This record gives sequence, structure tokens and C-alpha cells, in this order.
Amino acid sequence: MEATLFYILAAVLLTGTLLAITARQAVRSIVYLVTSFFALALMFYLLGAPLIAAFEVIIYAGAIMVLFLFVIMMLELESPEKLPQPHFTNWLPALLLAGAVVGSLVVLLCSRLRAVPPGFVEIPVRQFAFALFKQYGVAVEVVSMQLLFALVGALYLGRRR
Amino acid sequence: MTISDLYTIMPIVITAGAALFVLLCGPMLLSASLTAIGVTASAAAGLWAALGTPASTQAVSGLCFTPLARFLIPVFCFAAAVTLLLSHSYNERRGIKGEEFPATVLFALFALCVLPCATNMLILFLALESVSFAFYILVSMDLNRAESGEAGLKYLLMGAVAAAFTAFGFALLFTGSGTLQLSGALARPDNRAIISAGWGVILVGMAFKLSLVPGHLWTPDVYQGAPAPVSAFLSTSSKVAAAALLLILLALFPPMPELRVPLAALSVLSMVLGNLAALLQQNIKRMLAYSSVAHMGYLSLALLSGSRDGYAAVLLYGAVYTAMNLAAFGAISSLSIDEERELVTDYAGLGFTAPLRGGVLALAMISLAGIPPTAGFIGKFFIFYSAIKGGSIALAIIGILSAAASAYFYLRVVAQLYMHRSQAPAPRAVSLAEGLALCLASAMILVIGVYPGPLLKAIDTALQ
Repeated sequence: MEATLFYILAAVLLTGTLLAITARQAVRSIVYLVTSFFALALMFYLLGAPLIAAFEVIIYAGAIMVLFLFVIMMLELESPEKLPQPHFTNWLPALLLAGAVVGSLVVLLCSRLRAVPPGFVEIPVRQFAFALFKQYGVAVEVVSMQLLFALVGALYLGRRR
Repeated sequence: MTISDLYTIMPIVITAGAALFVLLCGPMLLSASLTAIGVTASAAAGLWAALGTPASTQAVSGLCFTPLARFLIPVFCFAAAVTLLLSHSYNERRGIKGEEFPATVLFALFALCVLPCATNMLILFLALESVSFAFYILVSMDLNRAESGEAGLKYLLMGAVAAAFTAFGFALLFTGSGTLQLSGALARPDNRAIISAGWGVILVGMAFKLSLVPGHLWTPDVYQGAPAPVSAFLSTSSKVAAAALLLILLALFPPMPELRVPLAALSVLSMVLGNLAALLQQNIKRMLAYSSVAHMGYLSLALLSGSRDGYAAVLLYGAVYTAMNLAAFGAISSLSIDEERELVTDYAGLGFTAPLRGGVLALAMISLAGIPPTAGFIGKFFIFYSAIKGGSIALAIIGILSAAASAYFYLRVVAQLYMHRSQAPAPRAVSLAEGLALCLASAMILVIGVYPGPLLKAIDTALQ
């Protein structure tokens, strides 16, 4: 049951992301991305992390994507210009890289790997918070410094001159 | 966490505190005092690290003051202090105002101090990304020059792709080993295929960061567009940080045979193409950028050997390269007028009209070319020695030949400085801070070149 759900969600996630990067209109691409975020949230839930699933929906699909939508609507972008079809030579590096990825996947799948034992084991919020702020407290601090300076840099570079 | 734990990670605390202090109190203080605070904080952090004793236990979960950190933090602090000293009068001339510049340099230093202390892959990755983040801002700091913004955008796009590769690589290593901790207990990974895939992807990301061919395309544009003191900091610290990350990972997952071929290819391509491209450059910053591609090729040659000698050569070369490039970009920065002198021919006759700065530039070029008695010779000597001892004789010969060819474009600058006369008026006098920074960097070049013993001893203890 869980395995079937996982594969359905994985298919939705991959298709959604693929369409998000190939869509020619920004709004469509955001809607596709929101779809894939929902699929990702459900996958986190299946892996036993309901809190992460909730964060994924609230922060990514909710806050950030809505912000993106607002920005795009405020900019009032015109319909995208027509680009010429990419030539075969432009596809070549992408095909080469895709071939390498598919090849290594085949190698990985052929070598017998122990699969992750399925099953829903819920991790309580208290344990999650303990891991986040005790075990990875330094990481939280480093990230907060990084975000602070991202803000400082954005303000500095966006200053009117 | 106890008080003594706090003492061991004091360099990180000092730099983070100074960055936040400069940011908060910036509007109330003069820009000279902000620079002074920055220099004092970096000097204090560097001295604290150099005089401290490495701890074997984690200070806080995820951070440990390792012997490697004891060696690398002073190097990073030296680079940051010299950058701040150089940038003060440069920024005044170029109209770069505000507390953001020193604060961001200190933030970069904070992230650089966290990196060698990390005991966990997540923090290692976050520290590396924070360093890149600080540089995205610093590169585009000059709002009056369009090239600066362009360079920042190019660096951001390339860096984001590289970060994605590195993150994916760490995720694969995590999948293969089952934990994020970087401890010796994991030295025997079971899932060899996944681990080597992770290594490959990390190598791609690091090739961008170290600007190894074919990931080097951003380097000339970014070095040319960035303000010269930022180029000095970028070309030294971020490269040493990326090399340190590879060293930390190599200590954990011993070099695998799969890694040899890609690393050898990256190394050869960087050495040969970097030096050949530098031969053709007329712009001095682009020339130094291609030369840094070649120098990172030498560095990965030493990584390739996989022996203790090789890793010692990497650390030595990191320190030597820091001193050389700080001197070279420092001289370029302090010789700039309203605009930077871009072409090599713009430096004609400056050896006579600006003796100190011309001399430092000439010394840096001689050292980059690897001519004794400068530090560059010692660095190259140990790299090629470890490569030959490690069995990669063909690669070492290619490296030595390309290093010999590189002498042409370095010595061309020296020839312009001393064998040509120009009618241009003498450049403005050197400021005290710039003079101090240039003297410090060139003293490092000469001291390491003549008397490398103490540094080699420090590297020996750092590799335990």
C-alpha cells in the first residue's frame, strides 16, 4: 500500500517538476511547482515526518509560492516570446549528461542494495525539535547568519543610486 | 557546553560578534573605525586560533577545534585582515560606502572559520555555501561599475549550479554511509557504488569552486569585474576553503581508484589550459585569473597523490598561494587611480615611480612563477615532489613544463615595471594601511621562501 502510494507520488513529483521547468509561462510553472510540493509533502508524511510535511505545505507551497505569484502578477509580464527550436547540437551535452545519470542509476539498481524498510514510524515534535536545536543547533545558527547577510546584500544592491 | 568549550571555538564567536557589531553600529561610526574593528577582530581570531591547543572532543554538537582548523583559521584571518586594510582607501576612491563591506568580509571570515571546525557534513556544506554567499555580495559591491554587477550575477548563477551539485553529492554520501557525522567510525562504507557516485558529484561542484577546467569559465570575468581587494580575498580564501573541504572528505573516505582518473584529468587540463590561456591575456586581472586556474591544477595534482606528503603539500600551497595572490591583487588595488589599471602595459615604469608597490607586484609575480628564494618555489617544489613520490610522474612532468612556460607571462609584468619608461605622472602616495598590508603579504612570501621550517612543522601537526 505504502509502496504503491510512494510510486504514484514520485511520478506526480517528477512530472510536476519537469513541467515546471519546461512551461513557458511563469504562472503555469509555479502552479506545477506547487503540485510537486504537495506530492513531496505527502512523501515526507509517508516517511514518518508529519511535521516536515506540514512545513512543506505551509512554507513552500503556501508562503513562498504565493509570494512568487504576487511578484509575477505585479510585474505584469507579457506572454513569453517565441524562441527558436533548439538545434540538435544544443541537445548534445544535455543528452550526454542524462545518459550518464541514467547509466549510473542502472548500475546502482543492478548492484543489490538493501532497501529502506518501509513503515510509518511517527517522530514526535519534541524529538524533532531536540534534533534540530541540540544536534544541529550550529547549523541553524550558520543558516540564520547566512540569511541575515543575504538580506543585507539584497538591500545594499537594491539601493537607489 | 562549558566555558572551556567556548574558549576553543572563540575564533568563530569573535568573527560572528564582530560582523554583527559592525552591522549594528555601522551607521554611528566612521568607516575608518569600522575597518579598524574588522582588522582587530580578524587578528584576534587568528592569534587565538594559532595559540590555542586543538581539542579532541566537540565543543558544541557539530563543531570541534581540530588541528586542521588550528592551521587554517590563521591563514583565513590573515587574508581577511589584509583585504580589509587594502579595501579601506580603495573603497574611498571608488565611492563604495557603508558598513556592508567590512561586515560582509567578517561574515565570510566567520563562515571560513566554521568550515575546518565542522564535524558533520551538513555544517561543512552550509559553511562552504555561506562563504560563497558572502562573495556573491562582495563581488557586486561596486555599484558605480556595471562590470561589478555583471560579475556578481555570473558568479551567483555558476555558484548556484555548483552548490546544487555539491548538495546532491553530500546527499549521496549520506545515503551511502547512513549518517551525516564526519567521524572515523565511518571509514568503511558498505555501499561503494553510491559513495563513489557521491564523490563524483562533489568533485564536479568543487571543480567549479576551485575553478578547475572545465568549471573555470566564470573565473576571468569575476576576477576582472570584482573590486581588486575582493579579487584578492576571493582568489585565496574561497579556493583554500574548497581544498580544505576536499581534504576533510578525503580523510574520511580514503581516495578510491574511481577518483583518480577524473581528478587527474581535471588537474592536467587546468595546468595546461590555464597557463596557455594566461599567455594570451593583455588584462592583468584576467591573466591572474587564468594563472589561478593553473595553480589550482597544481594543487589538485597534490591531492591526487593521496599520501600524507601530498596533503601537506596542499596545505603548504594554500598558505603560499594566499600570500602571493594577496600581494599581487593588493598592489593592483593600491596602484589603481579613479579606475583600475587594467592592461599589463599600464604598469610601465611603475617600478621607478612607485617603488614599494612596484616592488611588491614584481615580488608576487616572481613568486607566482616559482623562482627561488620566494615562497612560490617552495610550494611548487613540494607539490611536484609529492606527485613524483606518489607515482604520477607523467603528470608531474606536464606540470613542471607548463609551470616553466608560465614564467613568460609573469615576467612580462616585471619587465613592464622595470624596463619601460612612461610619461604618465607618478601615482598618488601609498596610504599607511595599504603599505602595511603589502609589507605583511610580501614578508610572508619571503619568510616562507627562505625559512619554511616552522610552517612545515605547523602543517605536520595539522595533519594528525
